Amino acid sequence: MATRSKSELSATVALIGNPNTGKSSLFNALSGGQARVGNYPGVTVEHKTARMQFGRDKQRIIELVDLPGTYSLSARSADEAVSVEVLSGEMPGVSRPDAVIVILDATNIERNLYLLSQVLELKIPTLVALNMWDRIEAEGISIDPNALSKSLGVPVVCTSASNRQGIPELHLALESLLESPTLGILASEKLASASFPEAFHRSVDELSQWFETQGVSLPRFQIERLLIDDAQGHSYRVIPKGRAHEIAERILESRKSLGAQGIAIPLFETRARYGWIKQQVAGVIERKPRDRKNTASDWIDRWLTHRWVGLLFFFLLMFFIFQSITRIADWPMQGIEFASGWLGDLVKGMLPPGPLESLLSDGIVAGVGSVLVFLPQIAILFFFIAILEDCGYMSRAAFMMDKFMSAIGMSGKSFLPLMSSFACAIPGIMATRTIENRRDRMVTLLIAPLMSCSARWPVYVLMVSAFVPNRTYLGGWVGLQGAVLFGMMCLGALVAIPVAWLLKRFVFPGEPSTFIMELSSYKWPSLRVVAMRVWERILAFLARAGSLIFLTSVLIWAAAYFPGDHSQLDRTVAQLRAEASQPSPDESKLESLETQVNQQRSELISQSYLGKAGHWIEPVVRPLGWDGKIGIAVLASFPAREVIVATLGTIYSLGADQDESSQGLVQQLRSATWPDGRAVYSLATACSIMVFFALCAQCVSTLVTIRRETNSWRWPIFSFVYMTSLAYIGAWIVYNIMSMW
Amino acid sequence: MSLPSKPQAVPVEFLAPEAEGVVVDLCGEERNVHRLEELGIRCGCKIRMLCPGETCLLAIEGKKMCLRLGASAEILVQPLTP
Ligand SMILES: Nc1nc2c(ncn2[C@@H]2O[C@H](COP(=O)(O)OP(=O)(O)O)[C@@H](O)[C@H]2O)c(=O)[nH]1
Ligand SMILES: [Mg+2]
Repeated sequence: MATRSKSELSATVALIGNPNTGKSSLFNALSGGQARVGNYPGVTVEHKTARMQFGRDKQRIIELVDLPGTYSLSARSADEAVSVEVLSGEMPGVSRPDAVIVILDATNIERNLYLLSQVLELKIPTLVALNMWDRIEAEGISIDPNALSKSLGVPVVCTSASNRQGIPELHLALESLLESPTLGILASEKLASASFPEAFHRSVDELSQWFETQGVSLPRFQIERLLIDDAQGHSYRVIPKGRAHEIAERILESRKSLGAQGIAIPLFETRARYGWIKQQVAGVIERKPRDRKNTASDWIDRWLTHRWVGLLFFFLLMFFIFQSITRIADWPMQGIEFASGWLGDLVKGMLPPGPLESLLSDGIVAGVGSVLVFLPQIAILFFFIAILEDCGYMSRAAFMMDKFMSAIGMSGKSFLPLMSSFACAIPGIMATRTIENRRDRMVTLLIAPLMSCSARWPVYVLMVSAFVPNRTYLGGWVGLQGAVLFGMMCLGALVAIPVAWLLKRFVFPGEPSTFIMELSSYKWPSLRVVAMRVWERILAFLARAGSLIFLTSVLIWAAAYFPGDHSQLDRTVAQLRAEASQPSPDESKLESLETQVNQQRSELISQSYLGKAGHWIEPVVRPLGWDGKIGIAVLASFPAREVIVATLGTIYSLGADQDESSQGLVQQLRSATWPDGRAVYSLATACSIMVFFALCAQCVSTLVTIRRETNSWRWPIFSFVYMTSLAYIGAWIVYNIMSMW
Repeated sequence: MSLPSKPQAVPVEFLAPEAEGVVVDLCGEERNVHRLEELGIRCGCKIRMLCPGETCLLAIEGKKMCLRLGASAEILVQPLTP
């Protein structure tokens, strides 16, 4: 389908609605797309497009655009601005929609109609999807969709996106709308703006004439927004940069004159629109009077959002998740480790000793394999995350955290992006778009990379499973390894508190922000949503292992293999293999050959480029308890944190003692020694590595995302510098404290 | 004899848990009031307090919303006596 040319594209259709009304679900149902769905506001923060075949003969192609949720077209935050920009045709790469589907939450029509009343004024053919239709009965609401359609004057279809009901009907309605677009356009006198005061319309006319004389051409809708909205919102983005002052002055003048005529800007707008809404729903909706008190959901909320019970629950929940991951993932992890050892041996058995054999077994299998081992953990982690996201708990957690976050001048709005940074900082940083307050957004964006993302997971698990004793307490319920992992996951978040406070205090000072957020309803997590989320992350993980990690593994292998002369080693290895395959090998000869191989290997690796670089870097990392190999591995993992596991895999596989080479990275780490024979790794070294990775900014994609979202290189550089310093200092402190024992 | 007087309008934060009230006025910075109205919090709508506090949890026409307005705006409600 991707090969089809743009010329066959017959229409662009945008989906818009309030947050959490099921836009992304409907987008997926209509197009078979893969937009992320989640039961909290702010899951979608950029526009997403998918192509859909259309019409009886499936000849036409429609570009469907999923948009972030918004309560009105007066955008306050960056994600809402995306929706407005797409609808007004300003978004680069998306043509102005030929039709819009406005999704209304059927359980909350009045409020949802506010946005519709604005969208209708754009005069784009509009279709209404009454979503969540499956829930209206339980809420004691009855709606007559035909009457609603008649009263609104645009087509209305009832849907239930998560159950994929009403989708064929929506297809048909969209088809007829695209065939006769006038079906979805209201006459001006039927719009809500018809009841705006005459003086306001006159003022808009005057302004628009004035703009023309100034050589600025803006659609009427945008002039209305400029006149109504305040300069802190996003409506002012349409003003040409150099003219901002002058234009703002002119707008203020109009406002003053309107004020003098008794028109209260901006509040007259909401009054007029709600007046319009009241007319539209009269006789269409009926609500059964119901005793709303003490529903199950209220009862759950009373406890989950309780100041202390709620907090305790939150921590126990996280603890339980980390404990389970270490346990459940144990055996699939061993399976993958075994398979990768077996593959390495297979390569060695098939090829004669030499560079190719070494590249395949030490470089690729050992490097990429040691990262792949963590696939089960990532999958299980995302399974839990997806359940939390879809059941409705996240917005409760945000509410609870607001009390604590307001103490450092932030708000609960920042909690959701931070929480999603535990999966990956990139969507977390993107999700800061939902934060209206610019200063809050910047602080959140800068601390988001401190949250323990899933790329740190392999580093932690490797170190924990190699060096933290596998003990359990409380009758086997609490494992030490799981507890250390949990501690590492919390570390970044704890450090983020003082960092946020400092940033808020000295870099982005300002008034404390307000917090308003709608809570989503509780529901059972949908299997489809959970499975899709897990699958999407598995693919992302594999893609990374196949590209970035593969590439660094090969590079690191080359750096550790060249420029040494391996011919002598290869001969000794061949001798050793020949001897070992004898029916009755001579034990003493085998042993002396093994010693020779080990010696030659460690000599070669210390003469290699990597060995030399390690030598250089050693003084810098020595205070952290690391040797040069770890130093190099950490440097090489600048593009992404989990790369360190692959680089360690390659380095130790190349330098491994003969009898350990297929035993997996954990064994090789345990037996690594300094030249004087002392073990390199101790619990203190392992912790220092983990703390470094908890706090460092080793992730190019994160830095690039920060650059994109802030539009400046200043902030990614700032992040990198402050996080790397924190990481170095943290690792130093931990190493020194722990080596005292 | 005077008519039974209506209870005094109070800021929404003062509602006791489970108490209900009808919004009678929104005041404060215009942009914040505008926002509240866009979100469906406007005069005449019924609010029930679920979880009081500086950040409070309210049920507004059946939808749950959490709110911390600080000094930027105020929602005045007329408590409903059950
Ligand atoms: N009961 C019910 N739930 C729905 C329906 N459509 C979507 N949902 C759920 O509502 C939540 C929000 O969906 P999403 O598509 O992410 O909404 P968006 O924020 O508007 O994109 C998810 O948990 C969906 O599973 C529906 O028709 N009925
Ligand atoms: Mg969405």
